[in-house]
This record gives sequence, structure tokens and C-alpha cells, in this order.
Amino acid sequence: MNKALKEETYDFVIVGGGPNGVGTAAYLAKSGENVIVLEERPECGGGAENTEVVPGVLIDPHTTYFYAGGAPGLEQLELWKYGFRLNIRPGYLGKLLSIGMHTTEGMSPVSLRDVEGLFKITGMTGTPPFVFELVRSIYYTPPHPPEVEVTVENTPFMQVYKKHAPDVWTPELLKMTLFDLMDEYCDTEPFKVEVGSVAWYDGAAPHHEGVAVPSLGAALLLFLTQVNTPIGGMHDYFHAIFRCAIAHHATIRTTCPVEEIIIRNGRAVGVRLRDNATCSEKTIWANKAVISNVDIQQTFLKLIGPQHTDQALRQGIKDISLKGGSLYVSHFLLNEPPRYRPKFKLKVPEDIDRVMGGFYPCDSREIFYEHVADVDGRKGFPTMPPERALWVNVGAKNRVPQTCRPPNRWLISPCYYSFPAPEYQLEGPDASAREKAKWDAWMRQIYGQVFENIESALVAQWSNTPWESEHRNAGLVGGNWMGTGLPREQWAEKRPIDLLPELSRYRTPIDGLYLAHQTSAHPGGLALLAIPYNLMHILIEDGLVEPGDWWYSAPQYIPQRGKVSAAKERVKV
Amino acid sequence: MAERKTTLERLIDTVYEPILAQIPSLPERTDWDVVIIGGGVNGLTAAAYLAKAGVKVCVVERRNEIGGGFTTDEILFPGYYSNEHVLYLLMNDYMPALKDFGFDRHGLVFVKPKAQTGMIFGDGKSILLTHTLEDSRDSISKYSFKDARTYGKLMWKWEAMVDEILGPATYVPPTPAMELVTALGKTEAGRDMLDITEKPPLDVINELFESDQLRAIMLYLSCMWGLDPREGGIGFFVPLLMLRGINKHYCVGGSHKFAGALAREIVENGGQIVDMAMVTKIIMEDGHVAGVEIGEEGRVLRSKVVISSLDPHSTFVELLGKQYLSNSLKRAVEGWKYDKWSFYTLHVVSKELPQYVPPCDDRWLNDAFMNIVGFNTSDELLAHWENVMAGKIDDKVVGGHICCESYLDPHLARGTPSKSYYLPFYEGFPANYISQFQIHAPYEIEGGWEKRGKELEEVLLEKWARVAPNMKRENIVMTKFETPLDIETRFPNMRRGAFKVGDYTPTQLGYFRFNNETSSSKTPIDGLYLCGACNYPGGMALGANGYIAANKVAEDMGVKKWWKPTPGMERYIKTYLK
Repeated sequence: MNKALKEETYDFVIVGGGPNGVGTAAYLAKSGENVIVLEERPECGGGAENTEVVPGVLIDPHTTYFYAGGAPGLEQLELWKYGFRLNIRPGYLGKLLSIGMHTTEGMSPVSLRDVEGLFKITGMTGTPPFVFELVRSIYYTPPHPPEVEVTVENTPFMQVYKKHAPDVWTPELLKMTLFDLMDEYCDTEPFKVEVGSVAWYDGAAPHHEGVAVPSLGAALLLFLTQVNTPIGGMHDYFHAIFRCAIAHHATIRTTCPVEEIIIRNGRAVGVRLRDNATCSEKTIWANKAVISNVDIQQTFLKLIGPQHTDQALRQGIKDISLKGGSLYVSHFLLNEPPRYRPKFKLKVPEDIDRVMGGFYPCDSREIFYEHVADVDGRKGFPTMPPERALWVNVGAKNRVPQTCRPPNRWLISPCYYSFPAPEYQLEGPDASAREKAKWDAWMRQIYGQVFENIESALVAQWSNTPWESEHRNAGLVGGNWMGTGLPREQWAEKRPIDLLPELSRYRTPIDGLYLAHQTSAHPGGLALLAIPYNLMHILIEDGLVEPGDWWYSAPQYIPQRGKVSAAKERVKV
Repeated sequence: MAERKTTLERLIDTVYEPILAQIPSLPERTDWDVVIIGGGVNGLTAAAYLAKAGVKVCVVERRNEIGGGFTTDEILFPGYYSNEHVLYLLMNDYMPALKDFGFDRHGLVFVKPKAQTGMIFGDGKSILLTHTLEDSRDSISKYSFKDARTYGKLMWKWEAMVDEILGPATYVPPTPAMELVTALGKTEAGRDMLDITEKPPLDVINELFESDQLRAIMLYLSCMWGLDPREGGIGFFVPLLMLRGINKHYCVGGSHKFAGALAREIVENGGQIVDMAMVTKIIMEDGHVAGVEIGEEGRVLRSKVVISSLDPHSTFVELLGKQYLSNSLKRAVEGWKYDKWSFYTLHVVSKELPQYVPPCDDRWLNDAFMNIVGFNTSDELLAHWENVMAGKIDDKVVGGHICCESYLDPHLARGTPSKSYYLPFYEGFPANYISQFQIHAPYEIEGGWEKRGKELEEVLLEKWARVAPNMKRENIVMTKFETPLDIETRFPNMRRGAFKVGDYTPTQLGYFRFNNETSSSKTPIDGLYLCGACNYPGGMALGANGYIAANKVAEDMGVKKWWKPTPGMERYIKTYLK
């Protein structure tokens, strides 16, 4: 029996050990706070996980690419000290883009204007380039305080454009769709469909009104580090965050599910663990705050008893849209290199490092719209003919030899097709898992439009359907790897929902309870290490933490009236 | 010759250079006091002790997860975790690390069920050994009162052997054979040990007991880890493995959690762990170890001390190089024998818990940690092992042990509660049950693993269903089998699927493991130490090899130890080694 534990008290109790929960723990622990993280599963990391599904073969059930290139946390937490390494291959993105976009007619070349346009609007070129400033203004800045009216002038990314690219700046940026923006600056339709589809699979959308720049950002994040994977996969990137927290004396416990957030007189004072948690004493007190790294639905509708909430709040939480990001994920193991159909005129080079990922078919945005109507409109199983089904092959494993070591084996993982969230699925929540054999075959068929030997060379196929994704990892509500979508009603000051003013700044109506999950907090998912950074501003405002010299705030951050200001310039080391 | 780049590519390259330079990264060269190759339990234990002593350690692990054999992963994908290698620990009662580190604060909980190991014979009759003496004797008395009496008296002697000698000796560097014989002669327990050691396990057991059922289960428990029951000089394994085999501890949350606890100790004390990094070379300078190279990344970790947890071939030939080996070391590497057998494991997800009653005769079998199924008699068991050692499996006499992991551990298959509190139609996902049926199997099997793997799945399920009738196909949600080839692929240093990384025979045990120059961890190569299962005391998740290495390195470096031997170890040292 576990003897050492009497009722425990920490400064901060963090519910959920995904990248945001552990990232927040790292920031707080490095600031000298006493933190505990409680994770339900046997392994932390949330969506940043990798599974060695058969020996020598490492699949990515969710995250593959590293999107956090712009994170202040890389520097502030010194993640490289904890083993984090990126798989940078010089010249890679150039090669990737010069192969072109996949369409039903074959490869469509990317034009110079496509790339110049994209680089211009993303700040990758400029005098000087301002891409990091842009990325940080979109993701790594807490939304403005409730008393501040959000305007064209004070919107963070608008400030960056005004300063660095006044010729790109226009008030219309806040009304456009990403397609509108790309129509102005880029060239070929397939390029725009590819970039737009990347944005969609990253939770934003190229057709959503008024979120041109956040959607652009979603695509930019992928390109920022050249479409790259961390060495060891995203889970090993997570290891670095985890080890940073541990090195600063955070306590992180697995197989300790939380049953209840304990609230007394409108204040979150601790948590109660589920009876089967591997702790003797199941009550853990929080001196300063409880931070929920569990999805917002579970937080308000389950962990906080109904005796503390009213129907208005519960209805609002229930209404949060889960559209955009529920994926049927397949992983194919082949006994020979994937072979492109002749019309693509592409040969997989000997060095299979270079087999690209990409969307198919990128012919026109009509295909994209049809796909969206199927998933988000009908909310049912695909009705697209296989030749027009829009999918993405992330292809990463063919570029990282350590992830597929058995001889004579090639791994295409993960392969994504959008499905509705289980609770919206017309055919029933578990339908995708019930009919798994059928939809696994569909996946082979649609990927077979590009790779002719998927069926013939198949050794094994593994899939996690949205239903299964949600149930193996409870935080992936809706099986949605992004959190929830990023339409303008769920973005920045309106995230997670335009219901209570404090929510967008990670606060809740309950004192001492903060939100730090991709469903509940700006800017959403993708393991950006953004929520922890943004949340730190708020915790400083509330007088709960004082980080050291390594901390600096977002340039466009506005302190909330009546609170401690978290504003601090970066001290260059 | 440089590839001709297009304008597009050149544009992109120029744009990216300054961008990528802004991402902080791990330097190509770092300096350490000690580098440890391999992040399995031995490497992690050595690192944890040393890090807490203030030594700057870096553990380099080839896989993307630490823990080596302490792995708990979703091989039944999606949704179910299995302990695909180490399922339980045998040495919790003796392992110093469990006392020296406060693992409670990491939420580490071990469970030791009373009903430890059952053996079910063809007709449903069973024998069940528990960790409580009288319950074991009650079960034995179903077959023989005489054996029950013998067992009762015998356990005083055997417990003394294990408690006073074998248990603590596991954590103390080995003593040369002649000295050990003299030392053991000093006490009764020691003399008992010398007597029993000479005999083959089969003789030990047959001389003591008359009932075939007790003989069979004793034989299984003492030889299951790869002992030839007819080999002399290893008889001490009978009391050791049999007693430890009925004191199995399961780590709730999976064995990987134990590795995670060690990793936390390392990192919290300033150590570093580099995952997904394969050491390709041990660097030597002026006849002394100077560090390691991670070839795929062009990265160098410099240190004056390197501790390797790998197999001898990897350490001495592939990483170090034959030019640094004495003739005796070269001979030792060339002559090293890997294990007699490996494992074939069938992982199963079922809708119901396996139920053995009826047709079996003891309700406690449903609770037993492990049930041995498939053998009607001890002769069948012996025949199976003969087959395996000859490279084949006969479906008629195959059997093995079954554990229902999720019976002990609710965290492996969690299911999910329904969301009907806000979505009336949204029912939950059932928590099914995860088990594993593991048999002894040769690395190279007659018929090939491609074919035999699938056949054995059917054979084992059929045998299981005979004693647990609810384990029929309709009740089974998912299966996955792993062969010795899979073990080798997942853990390349377990060559030929050798989970002990070296056979247990008189010339590969004790002072001779890995050889007489290295068995105390230090090697003749300046700065190079060993801590793997191929070194003393051996394999099987003992938490010992790393501990011994940490002790030796700390002594040699003049680092103050923050830990002391356990009382059992001190008594052993005082009685036998002084």
C-alpha cells in the first residue's frame, strides 16, 4: 500500500497530462511553484503520442508534424536541454514544393508566384522578415481583456501587418476568407486548395468568413519548420516538456483520473480522484488554483457537479461546435515502396526519405466544398466518389528511418480523411467503428487513386476512427485532434464560446479555476505550447506566479484593468 | 556533384536559412561525467543512483521510449494497453531501489495477489500455489498429504536460502567460485545451497516430491525462464525461482510506470535522457573511454565513463571494436550463448473475464495472477521443452502461462463512461479485458514463424477454451501474437529473442557472467562498465545490474554514496564475505 501519501496540497493542481497541462506545469515549476499534474491514462502526452504498434514500426495516431516553431517556450523552457531535437533536412521544403500538387490530372507545378505570394503574406520574406512576429501575434498572445473592444487597430496580427507589411494590411483582412486572400496573392488553384486544405486539417478553414489570417496561420505553422517532425516523433517533443517540468520539481502522476473538481463557496480548492486512481488518498488540495487540461465539456458538465452550474452555462458548453478536425486515421504498412500511378510521373526515389505528404485531389476548391458539405453539412459517411475524395497523406514516416526499422517495410502514416464528430454522425456515434472494415477499405481505395500498390503491397493496416480516438484519449472530444474548430465565433476573444467574458482569458466564473485545454482555450490545438504561455500572462495578472528573468510577455498583450500587469520585455541572453 | 536547383528551390532555401537558425537546438557536442548506453531498467537504475549523487549523467536510448523491457504499449491498437514484455517483478522484496527512492510520490503501486500461480491439467484438475504457505499446502494435499508435509518443512530451508543468500547476493558483486564455496560452507543455509546447486532441477524436484501435479508446477516455475531441467550446477534456481515465482508483484498502470519513476529521479537530479538516439560508437582516446557517438545525428556525448547495458556483441564488437579487446574478452564474446528459448505471446482482448469454473476445480483460479494451461503431466511439459530446445513446437504438447492483465489493472482497458448526462443517445464504450497467453518458443522454429505464428494462435485459443469455456471466438474482440523475432526487432540487444541476453548455465553465471573480467561491472577497458542482463546477476528485471554498476562507478570516481546496502545485504556481506 502506498504509504507516503496523506492528503496532499500543492500550489497548482493540473487536471490532465497532455502537452498543455504539462507545458503549464513546466512554466509554473520553472517559476518556483509547487505543481502536480494528474493524468488518467498510463502514459502522458495526450495527442502527442506515438505507438510502436508492431515492433520497429512507430505510428502517429494523431500529431505528426511539429507546429511549435514559433513558441517562446522553446527558448524560455530551454527544451533543447531536455533532449528535444528537430529533424531538419536542409533543402527539404524546396524539393517538396517543387514536386508540385497532386491533382486528378497528375502533378500540378507550383509557380514562383504561388510561393512568393505565400511568403509575402506570411512574413517569411520582408524587410526584414516578420514571420515569427506574425505567428506569435496570432497564437502566442492572450486574447484582449473583456473591457477592451477589439478593433482593426488593436487586433494583434493586424498590428504586425500594419508595421511590417503595410501593403498587405487592409481592414478587409478581418472579413476575408483564406481563399479570398490567396486569390489576391497566389497563383495556381491546386496550390491554393493544398494550402487551404492544410488549414482545414489544422482546425481552421479556407472558406470560413473573417478568419483569413488565423487560417493562413494554421497552414503557416506547418511550413514554419519546413514540414518537419521531431526526432522520436511528437511524443519525444512532449518528453522534453515533461522532463523540463520534472527537472523543476513538478510532480506528474499517471493512472490518476480525476473524478471531481472540488468547489467551496465559488472557489476551486482541489480535486478528488477516481476510486481506482493509483494513489491512496484521493483528495488533492490546491492552494492557488486548479487548472483544467481536460476538454471543456468534461470540465463543466462532469467534473464540476451540476450543483455549481446553471442551464445557461451547460447549454452554451454543449453548443460548442466540434466541426473540423475529426479524422478517420489509417496507417499502411507496405512490403515495397509506395508506387505512384503513371499519370503523376513521379518515382519514389531510392532515398525514400523524400516521398512527400500532400492532399489529393487539389484540382479545385469545388472538390473541397463538396467534401466539407459531406462532413460538416450532411454529417454522415462519405458520399463522394472515391476519385474526388479529398484526403491527405502525411507521409512523414517515409522520411524518418527510425520510425520504420524492419527491412522491406514502408510505412505511410498517418493518412487522414475527415469524418464528422461521433456525436454528430448521422449513422450513430460509433458507426465509424462498427463499420470499420468497410471504411478501412474505403481508405485503401482513395489512397489507391495516387498509389497503385496500396492493396497489393499491403502487410497491415491500422486505423483509429473518430469514435475510437475519442475513447482511447478522452481529451480528444469528438475525436477532434484540434480541439474544436476556429470559425470566428470560436476564435480568440470568442473562444471557447461567446458566453461569458472571462472564458476567453482562461478564467471561469469559479475562482481559482482556469482553462488550459485545446477545446477551451485560445488558440486551440496542434501542440503549440501556446496555451501554457498565454495562460501564464493571466496567472501573473491574478498574482499567482512570478516567473524569473527568462520570461517575457507577448508584445501585443494588453493587461486587464485592476490586475497585475504581466507585461515584460524580452531580455536577450 | 551538387544537384541543380530550380529558382523555386533556391528561393525557399534562402528564406529558410535565417528562420531555422532561430529554433534553439541541442548542441552537437555535450560533456558529461557518465554516459549510459541503453535506457532499460538497468541503465535507468544506474543513472538514477548516480544522478542523485550529483554525477552528471546522460542516458542514451535507441527507442522513442525509455524502459526497455518495461514497456506498456497499445499493441492491441486502438484502445488497449499491454505489458508486452515485463509483466511483473520477482524481486520487490529485495530490490534496494524500492527502498532507496521514494517512489510512492510518483504514484507507484504494486499489487501482489495471494493466488499466484495455478496449473490446470487436462481434466480441469488444478494445483494452485499462493504466497501463503498453508493455502499452498491445502492445494497440494488434494494430491498428496506427504508432499504437503514435505513442502511445509522444506520452505523453512528454502526461504532461508533465498532470504539470507540468494536474494541479497543478487545486489552484491559476485564472488569467485572457490571463495564462494568456502564462504557458503560456514552456515547451514549455505551448505544446503551447495548441495542443491549440484543437482539438476529435475532431480531436486523428483527427489523431494511424489505427486506429478506438484512436480509439474515446481518444474514450470523453476525452469520457465530458460533452464534445462536436466542440467547440473544450477539447482539453486529451484528454490529461488519457485519462491520468487509465488511472490510476483504487478505494477499498477503497467511496468512502464516503474521505468517512468526511475526516469523522474534521473531528470529531477539534473540528469538527461536522449530518446530515439542510437549509439553507433564508443569513442576511445589514448586508451581510455572518451564518450559515445550517435551516428545518425552526427552527435557526440563526451565522458570519461561509459556504462553499457547492451549485449556483449553490441558493446564490444559493434560499438567499441575488436582492436580494444584482450584475447580472453574476444573469446568470451565469440563464445557467448544466448538463451535456450524465447517467447511466443498471444495477446487477447475479450468481452468477458476468463472463467475457469466449471470445468476446473478451484474458484481461486479465476483470481490467480497466472494459470499454466496445456500440460496434462510433467512429462508433457518436459517434452515441450525438449521440442523447443530442438527448434520446434508440437501442437499436442504445447502449453504456457496465462495472465489476465486487466483483472489486476483497470487502467489498461479503461472503456469510457457514457456521455448521456448531456447527450442522451451517447452510450459509453465497454472496458473489455486484456490477457496474454505466453509460451516458450524457439527463435528459429520448424515450419517458420510466418506459418506457425498463426497456427499457434488457434491451438492456444482452443486449449484455453477447454479450461475456460467462455474464451471462445464470439467473446474475443481482438488478438495479436508476437514471436521471438518480434522480441529481437523491438529490443535488438535481446539477440535471438534472448530476454536474459545470455543463457543460464554454470559457465555463464555468477562470477563468470559476462566473464571473470567484467562480472563486477568494471571491464578491462579504462572507463567502460557493464550493467546489462548479460552481466551479473542476469536478466529478468531484477533492478540489480544497474545498482551494482552505480556502486562501482561511484567508488571508482570517489563519489559519496547517498545510499546504504539493505539490512539483508549487510547481513549477507557480514556472514559470507568478511
